[in-house]
Parts: sequence; C-alpha cells; structure tokens
Amino acid sequence: MYGYLGIDVGSVSTNLVLTGEDGTIEQSIYLRTQGKPIEMVQQGLKQMQAALPGKVKVIGVGTTGSGRHLAGVITGADIIKNEITTHAIAASNVVPGVQTILEIGGQDSKIIILRNGVVADFAMNTVCAAGTGSFLDQQASRLNIKIEEFGSLAMQSSVPVRIAGRCAVFAESDMIHKQQMGYNVPDILAGLCEALVRNYLNNVGKGKEILQPVVFQGGVAANAGMKAAFERALGHPVHVPPYFDVMGALGAAMLAREATNRKTTGFRGFDVADRDFKAGGFACDGCPNVCEVVEILESGQVIARWGDRCGRWSNALDRNQKIS
Amino acid sequence: MSVTVGIPRALLYYYYYPQWKTFFDHLGVKTLVSRETTRGILEKGIKSIVDEACLPVKLAVGHVLDLYGRVDYIFLPRIVSTARREYICPKFLGFPDMVRNNIDNLPPLIDYDLDLYRKGSSLYNFFYTVGRQFTHNPARILTAYKASMESLHMHCRDMEAGWLPFEPGVNHNHEQRPHDGNIHDVTIAIIGHPYNIYDRYISMNMIKRLQDYGANVVTADHLPEHVFRREAEKLPKQLFWTMNQRMVGAAFYYFDRPEVDGLIHVASFGCGPDSMTGELIERFARKESRKPLLNLTIDEHTGEAGMVTRLEAFMDMVRWRRQLDDVAATYY
Ligand code: SF4
Ligand code: SF4
Repeated sequence: MYGYLGIDVGSVSTNLVLTGEDGTIEQSIYLRTQGKPIEMVQQGLKQMQAALPGKVKVIGVGTTGSGRHLAGVITGADIIKNEITTHAIAASNVVPGVQTILEIGGQDSKIIILRNGVVADFAMNTVCAAGTGSFLDQQASRLNIKIEEFGSLAMQSSVPVRIAGRCAVFAESDMIHKQQMGYNVPDILAGLCEALVRNYLNNVGKGKEILQPVVFQGGVAANAGMKAAFERALGHPVHVPPYFDVMGALGAAMLAREATNRKTTGFRGFDVADRDFKAGGFACDGCPNVCEVVEILESGQVIARWGDRCGRWSNALDRNQKIS
Repeated sequence: MSVTVGIPRALLYYYYYPQWKTFFDHLGVKTLVSRETTRGILEKGIKSIVDEACLPVKLAVGHVLDLYGRVDYIFLPRIVSTARREYICPKFLGFPDMVRNNIDNLPPLIDYDLDLYRKGSSLYNFFYTVGRQFTHNPARILTAYKASMESLHMHCRDMEAGWLPFEPGVNHNHEQRPHDGNIHDVTIAIIGHPYNIYDRYISMNMIKRLQDYGANVVTADHLPEHVFRREAEKLPKQLFWTMNQRMVGAAFYYFDRPEVDGLIHVASFGCGPDSMTGELIERFARKESRKPLLNLTIDEHTGEAGMVTRLEAFMDMVRWRRQLDDVAATYY
C-alpha cells in the first residue's frame, strides 16, 4: 500500500496524518508541541510507523504550520506550504462546496473565505490571545474544569452570562466578577464561548461575508459549546469535520500527492526519528539588525538556517551544499 | 569649507530625495543620507520618542539620530501641503518640532515650511528660503531650483516607466522598465505609504519576496498623477489628504486593470489616514471587484513569520483563482 504523509507543526500542537492514495485518512496523530518541535516530529513519526500496517510505503510528504520549514528539513518534504492553503485544501475536499472556514487553534485563529472552490479571502489573528484556544484553556483551568469537559458543561447552560470578550485580560476579570456574583458554571462557560465567538467575528471575521456551508475546524472545534455559540451567532448550522484537529496536516498530505505527481518523493524515511537533530541559533553581529539566526543541525552538521534578513547565513549554506 | 546637510532616509525621502539632492548640489552643499533601516536605527527612534507617534515617525527619528555627529545641518522641511487645497498627514507638520523637543544637541535643523495649500503659494519660495542659508546669490538659487525640478520630474518619469524608487539599473531614458528575464506570471499591486513599502526592513522585503514568488509588483507611484486623481474622483467626496488620494486612486485603477491579479494594502498600525484608506479600498473591493485583496498592518511587533505566511497564502490564492478563471474561460 502507498500513502502520503502530512505534518502540521504549530506552536501548540504537532499533527501527523497518513492518507491512502485516494486521500482518505488511514492514521492520524495529535501531539502537544510543548516547545519541542523537533522531538515531537520525531515522536510523531515513530508513533505513525508503529501504527501503520507493515507494508505502507510513503510516496509523498508535505509539511505546514509555523514549524513547516523545520519539519520539511527533517523529513525531506516534497512540499512545504503555509497553513492557510493547507486548511483550505483539506476543508474543500472534506466538505465540497464549503464557502467559509472558521479555524481556531491553540495560538492563532483564522477565517478563510472560499468561493467557487478557491480561496477568495482570508484573515489571521496571531497576536490577540482572546481569539484563540489558549484563552479557553486558561479560563477552564481557572474554573477548575478539564478542557475536555468544557463543551458538554457549556451545553447545559440555559442562559449564557454576558462576558466582556474584547481582550483576554478584561474577559478574565469580568468572569471572576460574574463568578462572585453567583452565576453557575455552565452559564459562565457558555458566556465565555459567546465572548470568544463575538471576539472572533469582530476581529478575524471583520467585514467578511460568512456564507454556508460553514466548516469549523482546529483544536477548539472539539468544544461543543463553541460550535453552538457559532451557530447561535451566525443563525445557521456549522459543520465540524471528523478530523477537525488535523486538517492542516491533511491538506499537506493532499498537496504532497499533487507535488509528487510523476516524481519520486524526497522522504528520508521513518528512521529520521532516531537521528540526532538539534536546533541551535545565534545572534548575528554582522550589522545592527542583530538577526536571530536559527540553525538546524543533524549529527553536528548544519543542514538548514533561516532568520537572517540579508541571506548571509542561509545562502552560505546553499553554496556549501552545492560544493559538497 | 563645504558643509554637509543630512537627509533622513524616511518619510518623503522616497519621493523628493532626487530633487533635494540636486538643489543642494547646485549650491555646492554636500548631502549625506542616513543609512538603510536596521533594527538598531528603528530601536533608537522608538526609544527617543513618545509612544503615540506612528511607527514611520518613530523610524524617521531613528534616521535623524543616525545622522547625528556626521553632518552640519539636518534637512527636515516642515511639509504642510504639497498640493493646492490638500494637506499631508498632520504628523509631518509636527515632525521637526517633535525632533527638536526630544533630542538634545542636534545640529541645526533646516525646517522651513513647505506649504502649497493656498493659491499663490509657490514651491520656489520654499527653496529660496532654504537656499538663502547657503548663498546670497539669488541667481544661483534660481538655477539650483530649476535643476531640482528637473530631477524631480525625472524621478517621477522613471517611476511611471515602471521603476521602483532608486532601483538599481534605472537609466532615466523613460522607456518602459525592461523585463528582468524571470518568469513573473502574476501581477500584484502594492498600495501603501512609500516609507512603508520601499523600506526593506519595515516591509520585511515584501517587494523582493513577491518578486521571488514570481510576481510583477506595481505601486501607486507607477501611475502618473492625473490617473490616480481621476480615479479618486470616483469617491463621492474629495479626499483632502494628498497621500490618501494617491493610494485610493491607484487602488481603484488597479482593481480595474485586467493584468493585475491582486492587491495588497499595507497600513501602519495606529495611522489614522491608513485606516481610512484601507476602509475605502476594502469597500470598493467588496462592491466592485472580484480581485483578491490582502490587508497587512505593520507595527514594531510584526513577526516576519506571520507576514511570510500571509504573503505565501495570498500568492497561492491569486494563482488558484486565476487557474479557475482560465478553466471557466475555456468553457464559455
Ligand atoms: S544576518 Fe545579515 S542582516 Fe542579519 S544581522 Fe547579520 S548581517 Fe545583518
Ligand atoms: S500618514 Fe500615517 S504613517 Fe504616515 S505619518 Fe501620518 S500617521 Fe504616520
């Protein structure tokens, strides 16, 4: 059997999927990145290999997410793609005709508008914590609630409490206030979901025309309270696809199929999981930009560099590689 | 005993430097431009100025400081208006005072008013006042002024011929910029203040990146003045800010051009004029056009990774959409 591997390395989670030749998911893995992207990619590869039936041959690899270059270098990816494109590709394959994608992950959130099957517009929030999953995580732990239970509890609410959601700091103090006033937990949780949805629609979704079908994906889509809050705010149903939390990786795998069309893969094999990779870095003192240059080392050898604004370090490497 | 006048590589430098330089050259005055923006220059500016200032103004302060100790004067014209019945952003007006009040021991500033708002006001008066600092010979000032105007026109015509300001290779023959031989299958219009889009550090090399991704890049400055002015008249009410007119007019124009595949609007965080321009462009895009539009806001904390992701996704979107249009075209 042949398969395509998709890897999505974000700051919160690292996801891997393996699809069959027809693009259906055979196996998916969701890990917490915990600030150790290299280890997590390796661990993910190990788990993937263990989970697969013996005869699977990877014939294409795609990487995405903020750590896409890193994952691409380690695995020898055939395609390295930004997360907007991969999410859009995956959603439009899973829900044909999708016109709006709401995506909320741990550290960022985005909206993607598709028309006639192609991306027509998008927006991303990477700065404001009030629009992301980590905000819900924080508030849940403040209320001593497991994030897994968050959604079902929120669904028990009959009258969500109105919570100011403009900014994470305000939301937090407002929530404490409401708690002290004696509101019950489900109503507060449902209120938090509504605050987050309002915040998302006002910031990320500002000025965008949200047409059906709407797909809701990313880690936060696991939260039934969030789905319900979106449906209330938009006034129409919102689909959460079965693999909502690995859609980026799925899109990357789908792109890998396209990229390896009549070409052999650059995949370096599952045993890269056992090789020694390290991320290093230094501040260049070549000019007052003082770039923070990132280096990826394999067994002590630099195999990739980025972060230099002038190309002084990354280009030097290309030349060495060409010589050797 | 020749003196040196320092010119910060900031704000309207991108439009007027050739004119300023020629003027000073003809008076026998040397000029020195501050170095290209680096993180160091930006940080110096941020540290020395109040927080309310917009990023481009903070950066301009950094460039003033970069000239510190290397020049006898600093040229900071107080630009109020560059066209009749129009103003330039009020921050330009306050800039020389802001510099004077926040930085000690500066060399003398040359900060006469450049104000063409009123009927009868003339650019010559401004240059005459500046020139008087260095010579008492009115004929010499007049000659320098005429030559400077010639340089300005040359600069504008170069840009109209498709060159970016100070792009290497510009030959002043006003023929269309020759094709660089790379494959550029899409054309992207970047709409934004010159000091944002042409500053390589601030824009994170956006133009070069897009070119590397295979895009032809066009900007508002490639259009002759009458074109963007005519386009801006599509608005029900005239904008009295010159730069907004230029940007809005250019955006309208490019939205209508079949060869332009997408537009990017670049705004400074906290810039009032930019948020208005952005709003007008976005409304137009939604009502009148099918072209992709990307809004990018730049501030001191803008991460390069986020910017790269957005640009890449934008290019994917533009190509993907065009493919679809091509397919549609073969069916109908
Ligand atoms: S990498 Fe290049 S731009 Fe960055 S500090 Fe070094 S010399 Fe300067
Ligand atoms: S137009 Fe905007 S960016 Fe430019 S000086 Fe004014 S406020 Fe600053």
